[in-house]
Amino acid sequence: MMPKFILQALLVLSVLFTLNAVSAGQPAQMLHEIAERPAAPDFSLKDMDGSIHTLSAYRGKVVILNFWATWCPPCREEMPSMERAWKQLKHEDIVMLAINVGEDEDSIFEFTASYPVEFPLLLDQESVVTGNWPVRGLPTTFVIDPQGRIVYRAVGGRDWNAPGILKKIRALQVHP
Amino acid sequence: MKPVYRIYAKRAVLILQLIAGAAVASEAPVTTGAVPETGLRYWEWKSEGVLFRLTQRLPDQTRAYFMARGFDAGDANHIAERCVFQSMFRNIADSGDTSVAIDLDNWRIHGDNKESRLLTRKKWQEELHKSPVSRAAAIALEWSLLPTRQEYAPGDYNWGMTSYGLQPGQVFDLAFSWQRNGQVFHGTLKRVECARDVHPEPEP
Repeated sequence: MMPKFILQALLVLSVLFTLNAVSAGQPAQMLHEIAERPAAPDFSLKDMDGSIHTLSAYRGKVVILNFWATWCPPCREEMPSMERAWKQLKHEDIVMLAINVGEDEDSIFEFTASYPVEFPLLLDQESVVTGNWPVRGLPTTFVIDPQGRIVYRAVGGRDWNAPGILKKIRALQVHP
Repeated sequence: MKPVYRIYAKRAVLILQLIAGAAVASEAPVTTGAVPETGLRYWEWKSEGVLFRLTQRLPDQTRAYFMARGFDAGDANHIAERCVFQSMFRNIADSGDTSVAIDLDNWRIHGDNKESRLLTRKKWQEELHKSPVSRAAAIALEWSLLPTRQEYAPGDYNWGMTSYGLQPGQVFDLAFSWQRNGQVFHGTLKRVECARDVHPEPEP
Protein backbone atom coordinates (compact mmCIF):
# COMPACT_ATOMS: atom_id res chain seq x y z
CA MET A 1 0.00 0.00 0.00
CA MET A 2 1.28 3.47 -0.85
CA PRO A 3 2.46 5.38 2.24
CA LYS A 4 0.20 8.24 3.28
CA PHE A 5 2.90 10.89 2.92
CA ILE A 6 3.43 9.95 -0.75
CA LEU A 7 -0.30 10.30 -1.35
CA GLN A 8 -0.22 13.71 0.33
CA ALA A 9 2.75 14.76 -1.79
CA LEU A 10 0.98 13.64 -4.97
CA LEU A 11 -2.11 15.57 -3.91
CA VAL A 12 -0.04 18.74 -3.44
CA LEU A 13 1.59 18.29 -6.86
CA SER A 14 -1.74 17.65 -8.57
CA VAL A 15 -3.13 20.88 -7.06
CA LEU A 16 -0.05 22.72 -8.35
CA PHE A 17 -0.46 21.32 -11.87
CA THR A 18 -4.16 22.16 -11.85
CA LEU A 19 -3.41 25.76 -10.85
CA ASN A 20 -0.88 26.00 -13.67
CA ALA A 21 -3.38 24.60 -16.17
CA VAL A 22 -6.06 27.10 -15.12
CA SER A 23 -3.63 29.99 -15.32
CA ALA A 24 -2.56 28.97 -18.83
CA GLY A 25 -5.69 30.75 -20.09
CA GLN A 26 -6.58 28.24 -22.76
CA PRO A 27 -9.83 29.03 -24.57
CA ALA A 28 -12.73 27.49 -22.73
CA GLN A 29 -15.55 26.07 -24.83
CA MET A 30 -18.33 28.04 -23.20
CA LEU A 31 -21.45 29.76 -24.46
CA HIS A 32 -22.79 32.68 -22.48
CA GLU A 33 -26.50 32.32 -21.81
CA ILE A 34 -28.47 35.54 -22.22
CA ALA A 35 -31.10 35.40 -19.50
CA GLU A 36 -33.42 38.01 -21.07
CA ARG A 37 -33.60 36.13 -24.38
CA PRO A 38 -34.11 39.28 -26.51
CA ALA A 39 -35.76 39.04 -29.93
CA ALA A 40 -33.23 38.50 -32.69
CA PRO A 41 -33.22 41.50 -35.09
CA ASP A 42 -34.48 40.39 -38.48
CA PHE A 43 -32.48 40.80 -41.69
CA SER A 44 -32.39 39.81 -45.34
CA LEU A 45 -28.97 39.28 -46.92
CA LYS A 46 -27.59 37.67 -50.06
CA ASP A 47 -25.26 34.67 -49.89
CA MET A 48 -22.37 33.95 -52.27
CA ASP A 49 -24.75 32.35 -54.79
CA GLY A 50 -27.07 35.35 -54.78
CA SER A 51 -29.83 33.63 -52.75
CA ILE A 52 -31.58 35.78 -50.15
CA HIS A 53 -31.68 34.59 -46.54
CA THR A 54 -34.22 36.17 -44.21
CA LEU A 55 -33.76 35.32 -40.56
CA SER A 56 -37.47 35.30 -39.74
CA ALA A 57 -38.00 32.69 -42.47
CA TYR A 58 -36.09 30.25 -40.23
CA ARG A 59 -38.56 30.66 -37.34
CA GLY A 60 -39.23 27.24 -35.80
CA LYS A 61 -35.57 26.21 -36.18
CA VAL A 62 -32.47 26.75 -34.10
CA VAL A 63 -30.13 29.17 -35.91
CA ILE A 64 -26.39 29.59 -35.30
CA LEU A 65 -25.47 33.07 -36.54
CA ASN A 66 -21.80 34.01 -36.84
CA PHE A 67 -20.34 37.46 -37.64
CA TRP A 68 -16.85 37.28 -39.15
CA ALA A 69 -14.25 38.67 -41.57
CA THR A 70 -11.53 36.98 -43.60
CA TRP A 71 -8.73 39.06 -42.02
CA CYS A 72 -9.73 38.13 -38.45
CA PRO A 73 -7.44 35.35 -37.10
CA PRO A 74 -9.90 33.81 -34.59
CA CYS A 75 -12.60 33.84 -37.29
CA ARG A 76 -10.33 31.81 -39.57
CA GLU A 77 -9.39 29.50 -36.75
CA GLU A 78 -12.95 28.60 -35.79
CA MET A 79 -14.30 28.24 -39.34
CA PRO A 80 -13.23 24.58 -39.84
CA SER A 81 -14.90 23.62 -36.53
CA MET A 82 -18.06 25.36 -37.68
CA GLU A 83 -18.00 23.29 -40.85
CA ARG A 84 -17.53 20.08 -38.83
CA ALA A 85 -20.43 21.04 -36.55
CA TRP A 86 -22.56 21.94 -39.56
CA LYS A 87 -22.00 18.52 -41.13
CA GLN A 88 -23.65 16.99 -38.05
CA LEU A 89 -26.33 19.57 -37.39
CA LYS A 90 -27.68 20.06 -40.91
CA HIS A 91 -29.34 16.64 -40.68
CA GLU A 92 -31.12 17.80 -37.53
CA ASP A 93 -32.80 20.82 -39.14
CA ILE A 94 -30.48 23.29 -37.40
CA VAL A 95 -29.43 26.33 -39.47
CA MET A 96 -25.94 27.85 -39.61
CA LEU A 97 -25.34 31.26 -41.22
CA ALA A 98 -22.15 33.31 -41.25
CA ILE A 99 -22.41 37.04 -41.98
CA ASN A 100 -19.25 38.55 -43.42
CA VAL A 101 -18.71 42.10 -42.22
CA GLY A 102 -17.68 44.67 -44.81
CA GLU A 103 -15.89 42.61 -47.48
CA ASP A 104 -16.67 41.90 -51.10
CA GLU A 105 -17.40 38.61 -52.83
CA ASP A 106 -13.88 38.31 -54.28
CA SER A 107 -12.26 38.42 -50.82
CA ILE A 108 -14.64 35.78 -49.50
CA PHE A 109 -14.24 33.64 -52.60
CA GLU A 110 -10.45 33.65 -52.12
CA PHE A 111 -10.92 32.76 -48.46
CA THR A 112 -13.11 29.76 -49.24
CA ALA A 113 -10.35 28.29 -51.41
CA SER A 114 -8.38 27.74 -48.18
CA TYR A 115 -11.34 27.30 -45.84
CA PRO A 116 -14.08 25.51 -47.79
CA VAL A 117 -17.46 25.61 -46.06
CA GLU A 118 -20.89 24.43 -47.16
CA PHE A 119 -23.10 26.57 -44.94
CA PRO A 120 -24.27 29.93 -46.34
CA LEU A 121 -21.86 32.88 -46.17
CA LEU A 122 -23.88 36.10 -46.26
CA LEU A 123 -22.61 39.51 -47.34
CA ASP A 124 -23.09 42.62 -45.19
CA GLN A 125 -20.80 44.91 -47.18
CA GLU A 126 -22.11 48.14 -45.65
CA SER A 127 -22.09 46.65 -42.13
CA VAL A 128 -25.72 47.77 -41.71
CA VAL A 129 -27.11 44.46 -40.44
CA THR A 130 -24.12 44.00 -38.15
CA GLY A 131 -24.81 47.43 -36.68
CA ASN A 132 -28.32 46.28 -35.68
CA TRP A 133 -26.91 43.40 -33.64
CA PRO A 134 -25.01 43.61 -30.32
CA VAL A 135 -21.71 42.91 -32.06
CA ARG A 136 -18.64 44.87 -30.97
CA GLY A 137 -15.81 42.61 -32.10
CA LEU A 138 -15.26 39.73 -34.51
CA PRO A 139 -16.01 36.90 -34.37
CA THR A 140 -19.23 37.02 -32.39
CA THR A 141 -21.74 34.20 -32.65
CA PHE A 142 -25.33 33.95 -31.45
CA VAL A 143 -27.56 30.93 -31.04
CA ILE A 144 -31.21 31.72 -31.70
CA ASP A 145 -34.02 29.48 -30.47
CA PRO A 146 -37.01 28.34 -32.57
CA GLN A 147 -39.03 31.28 -31.18
CA GLY A 148 -36.56 33.74 -32.71
CA ARG A 149 -34.91 34.74 -29.42
CA ILE A 150 -31.18 35.10 -28.75
CA VAL A 151 -30.26 32.44 -26.19
CA TYR A 152 -26.47 32.19 -26.31
CA ARG A 153 -23.60 34.49 -27.26
CA ALA A 154 -19.94 33.70 -27.85
CA VAL A 155 -17.40 36.52 -28.26
CA GLY A 156 -14.23 35.18 -29.85
CA GLY A 157 -13.66 31.82 -31.50
CA ARG A 158 -14.90 28.49 -30.23
CA ASP A 159 -14.56 24.84 -31.15
CA TRP A 160 -18.12 24.53 -32.42
CA ASN A 161 -17.72 20.80 -32.77
CA ALA A 162 -17.09 20.39 -29.02
CA PRO A 163 -19.63 17.98 -27.48
CA GLY A 164 -20.64 20.46 -24.75
CA ILE A 165 -21.52 23.15 -27.29
CA LEU A 166 -23.38 20.75 -29.59
CA LYS A 167 -25.37 19.46 -26.61
CA LYS A 168 -26.52 22.97 -25.68
CA ILE A 169 -27.53 23.74 -29.26
CA ARG A 170 -29.43 20.48 -29.67
CA ALA A 171 -31.19 21.02 -26.33
CA LEU A 172 -32.89 24.09 -27.79
CA GLN A 173 -34.56 21.87 -30.39
CA VAL A 174 -35.98 19.56 -27.77
CA HIS A 175 -36.63 22.03 -24.96
CA PRO A 176 -37.04 25.51 -26.45
CA MET B 1 4.85 3.81 10.17
CA LYS B 2 7.71 4.29 12.68
CA PRO B 3 7.71 7.70 14.43
CA VAL B 4 11.01 8.74 12.81
CA TYR B 5 9.65 8.06 9.30
CA ARG B 6 6.46 9.90 10.19
CA ILE B 7 8.55 13.01 10.98
CA TYR B 8 10.41 12.70 7.65
CA ALA B 9 7.12 12.25 5.81
CA LYS B 10 5.64 15.36 7.41
CA ARG B 11 8.75 17.34 6.52
CA ALA B 12 8.60 16.11 2.93
CA VAL B 13 4.98 17.18 2.63
CA LEU B 14 5.79 20.55 4.20
CA ILE B 15 8.66 21.13 1.74
CA LEU B 16 6.45 20.21 -1.21
CA GLN B 17 3.73 22.55 0.03
CA LEU B 18 6.27 25.35 0.36
CA ILE B 19 7.55 24.67 -3.18
CA ALA B 20 3.98 24.68 -4.51
CA GLY B 21 3.12 27.86 -2.64
CA ALA B 22 6.27 29.61 -3.81
CA ALA B 23 5.61 28.59 -7.42
CA VAL B 24 2.12 30.09 -7.33
CA ALA B 25 3.09 33.19 -5.34
CA SER B 26 6.09 33.98 -7.52
CA GLU B 27 4.03 33.98 -10.71
CA ALA B 28 4.29 37.62 -11.74
CA PRO B 29 1.23 38.99 -13.56
CA VAL B 30 3.36 40.42 -16.41
CA THR B 31 5.56 38.51 -18.79
CA THR B 32 7.47 39.93 -21.72
CA GLY B 33 9.36 38.35 -24.53
CA ALA B 34 9.65 38.12 -28.29
CA VAL B 35 7.63 36.11 -30.78
CA PRO B 36 10.16 33.52 -32.03
CA GLU B 37 9.07 33.67 -35.69
CA THR B 38 9.15 37.46 -36.03
CA GLY B 39 11.25 38.82 -33.18
CA LEU B 40 8.43 41.24 -32.36
CA ARG B 41 8.10 41.88 -28.64
CA TYR B 42 5.07 41.25 -26.49
CA TRP B 43 3.84 42.26 -23.03
CA GLU B 44 1.31 40.02 -21.31
CA TRP B 45 -0.72 40.48 -18.13
CA LYS B 46 -2.32 37.38 -16.65
CA SER B 47 -3.96 37.81 -13.26
CA GLU B 48 -7.33 38.28 -11.56
CA GLY B 49 -9.05 36.15 -14.19
CA VAL B 50 -8.03 38.18 -17.24
CA LEU B 51 -5.35 37.86 -19.87
CA PHE B 52 -4.30 40.95 -21.79
CA ARG B 53 -1.55 40.83 -24.37
CA LEU B 54 0.06 43.45 -26.57
CA THR B 55 2.28 42.39 -29.47
CA GLN B 56 4.23 44.91 -31.54
CA ARG B 57 3.22 45.52 -35.14
CA LEU B 58 5.82 46.92 -37.50
CA PRO B 59 4.57 50.11 -39.16
CA ASP B 60 5.16 48.36 -42.50
CA GLN B 61 2.77 45.57 -41.46
CA THR B 62 0.08 48.11 -40.66
CA ARG B 63 0.70 50.10 -43.85
CA ALA B 64 0.34 46.96 -45.98
CA TYR B 65 -2.75 45.81 -44.07
CA PHE B 66 -4.67 49.06 -44.55
CA MET B 67 -3.53 49.65 -48.14
CA ALA B 68 -4.96 46.20 -48.93
CA ARG B 69 -8.27 47.39 -47.48
CA GLY B 70 -8.77 50.55 -49.50
CA PHE B 71 -6.63 53.20 -47.78
CA ASP B 72 -4.28 55.26 -49.91
CA ALA B 73 -0.60 55.25 -48.99
CA GLY B 74 -0.83 58.54 -47.07
CA ASP B 75 -3.72 57.49 -44.83
CA ALA B 76 -2.28 54.01 -44.26
CA ASN B 77 1.00 55.65 -43.23
CA HIS B 78 -0.87 58.03 -40.91
CA ILE B 79 -2.31 55.06 -39.00
CA ALA B 80 0.88 52.99 -39.14
CA GLU B 81 2.97 55.73 -37.52
CA ARG B 82 0.64 56.08 -34.51
CA CYS B 83 2.06 53.11 -32.54
CA VAL B 84 -0.27 50.22 -33.34
CA PHE B 85 -0.20 46.96 -31.39
CA GLN B 86 -1.95 43.65 -31.97
CA SER B 87 -3.97 43.15 -28.79
CA MET B 88 -5.91 40.39 -27.12
CA PHE B 89 -8.18 40.62 -24.11
CA ARG B 90 -9.65 37.43 -22.64
CA ASN B 91 -11.78 36.55 -19.63
CA ILE B 92 -10.00 33.44 -18.36
CA ALA B 93 -12.35 32.79 -15.43
CA ASP B 94 -13.28 29.14 -15.73
CA SER B 95 -16.85 29.05 -14.51
CA GLY B 96 -19.76 31.03 -13.15
CA ASP B 97 -21.36 34.17 -14.45
CA THR B 98 -18.46 36.48 -13.81
CA SER B 99 -18.36 38.73 -16.85
CA VAL B 100 -15.63 41.31 -17.28
CA ALA B 101 -16.22 44.74 -18.81
CA ILE B 102 -13.63 47.04 -20.34
CA ASP B 103 -13.76 50.63 -21.50
CA LEU B 104 -10.65 51.74 -23.38
CA ASP B 105 -11.56 55.39 -22.76
CA ASN B 106 -10.61 54.80 -19.10
CA TRP B 107 -7.14 53.48 -19.94
CA ARG B 108 -4.18 55.84 -19.73
CA ILE B 109 -0.83 56.07 -21.50
CA HIS B 110 2.12 57.48 -19.58
CA GLY B 111 5.05 58.35 -21.79
CA ASP B 112 7.42 61.24 -22.34
CA ASN B 113 6.17 62.89 -19.11
CA LYS B 114 2.65 63.13 -20.49
CA GLU B 115 -0.61 61.32 -19.94
CA SER B 116 -2.78 60.49 -22.93
CA ARG B 117 -5.58 58.20 -24.09
CA LEU B 118 -5.80 55.48 -26.70
CA LEU B 119 -6.95 56.30 -30.21
CA THR B 120 -10.19 54.34 -30.14
CA ARG B 121 -12.75 53.71 -32.88
CA LYS B 122 -14.50 57.04 -32.25
CA LYS B 123 -11.21 58.98 -32.30
CA TRP B 124 -10.26 57.40 -35.61
CA GLN B 125 -13.71 58.14 -37.05
CA GLU B 126 -13.14 61.79 -36.20
CA GLU B 127 -9.67 61.65 -37.78
CA LEU B 128 -11.08 60.08 -40.93
CA HIS B 129 -13.65 62.86 -41.30
CA LYS B 130 -10.70 65.18 -41.95
CA SER B 131 -9.67 63.19 -45.03
CA PRO B 132 -12.60 60.98 -46.02
CA VAL B 133 -11.80 57.40 -46.98
CA SER B 134 -14.00 54.86 -48.74
CA ARG B 135 -16.80 53.22 -46.77
CA ALA B 136 -15.09 49.82 -47.13
CA ALA B 137 -11.84 51.22 -45.71
CA ALA B 138 -13.64 52.87 -42.78
CA ILE B 139 -15.45 49.60 -41.97
CA ALA B 140 -12.15 47.68 -42.11
CA LEU B 141 -10.50 50.11 -39.68
CA GLU B 142 -13.44 50.09 -37.27
CA TRP B 143 -13.64 46.31 -37.01
CA SER B 144 -9.86 45.84 -36.95
CA LEU B 145 -9.58 47.86 -33.74
CA LEU B 146 -10.20 46.29 -30.34
CA PRO B 147 -13.75 47.25 -29.26
CA THR B 148 -13.78 50.41 -27.16
CA ARG B 149 -16.32 48.93 -24.78
CA GLN B 150 -16.94 45.22 -24.47
CA GLU B 151 -18.28 42.68 -22.02
CA TYR B 152 -16.56 39.32 -21.83
CA ALA B 153 -18.29 36.31 -20.33
CA PRO B 154 -15.99 33.50 -19.13
CA GLY B 155 -14.21 32.11 -22.19
CA ASP B 156 -14.87 35.21 -24.31
CA TYR B 157 -12.06 37.15 -25.96
CA ASN B 158 -11.30 39.67 -28.68
CA TRP B 159 -8.30 40.22 -30.86
CA GLY B 160 -7.84 43.65 -32.35
CA MET B 161 -5.45 46.50 -32.92
CA THR B 162 -4.90 49.20 -30.33
CA SER B 163 -3.37 52.53 -31.27
CA TYR B 164 -1.46 54.75 -28.84
CA GLY B 165 -0.74 57.85 -30.94
CA LEU B 166 3.00 57.76 -30.18
CA GLN B 167 6.07 57.78 -32.41
CA PRO B 168 7.74 54.55 -33.60
CA GLY B 169 10.24 53.39 -30.97
CA GLN B 170 8.68 55.44 -28.14
CA VAL B 171 8.40 53.79 -24.72
CA PHE B 172 5.36 54.12 -22.46
CA ASP B 173 3.52 52.63 -19.50
CA LEU B 174 -0.08 51.54 -20.00
CA ALA B 175 -2.44 51.76 -17.02
CA PHE B 176 -5.47 49.63 -17.88
CA SER B 177 -8.55 48.57 -15.96
CA TRP B 178 -11.55 46.30 -16.08
CA GLN B 179 -14.68 45.68 -14.02
CA ARG B 180 -15.95 42.43 -12.56
CA ASN B 181 -19.05 42.27 -10.37
CA GLY B 182 -19.02 46.05 -10.07
CA GLN B 183 -15.47 46.12 -8.74
CA VAL B 184 -12.77 47.95 -10.70
CA PHE B 185 -9.42 46.20 -11.14
CA HIS B 186 -6.23 47.86 -12.35
CA GLY B 187 -3.13 46.61 -14.11
CA THR B 188 -0.04 48.21 -15.59
CA LEU B 189 2.24 47.20 -18.44
CA LYS B 190 5.53 49.01 -17.96
CA ARG B 191 8.07 50.11 -20.55
CA VAL B 192 6.04 49.00 -23.53
CA GLU B 193 7.87 49.93 -26.73
CA CYS B 194 6.21 50.98 -29.98
CA ALA B 195 7.77 49.02 -32.84
CA ARG B 196 10.50 50.87 -34.67
CA ASP B 197 9.92 51.79 -38.31
CA VAL B 198 12.39 49.30 -39.73
CA HIS B 199 12.19 47.61 -43.09
CA PRO B 200 13.58 44.09 -42.71
CA GLU B 201 14.86 42.58 -45.93
CA PRO B 202 14.66 38.84 -46.60
CA GLU B 203 17.99 37.11 -46.02
CA PRO B 204 19.81 36.19 -49.26
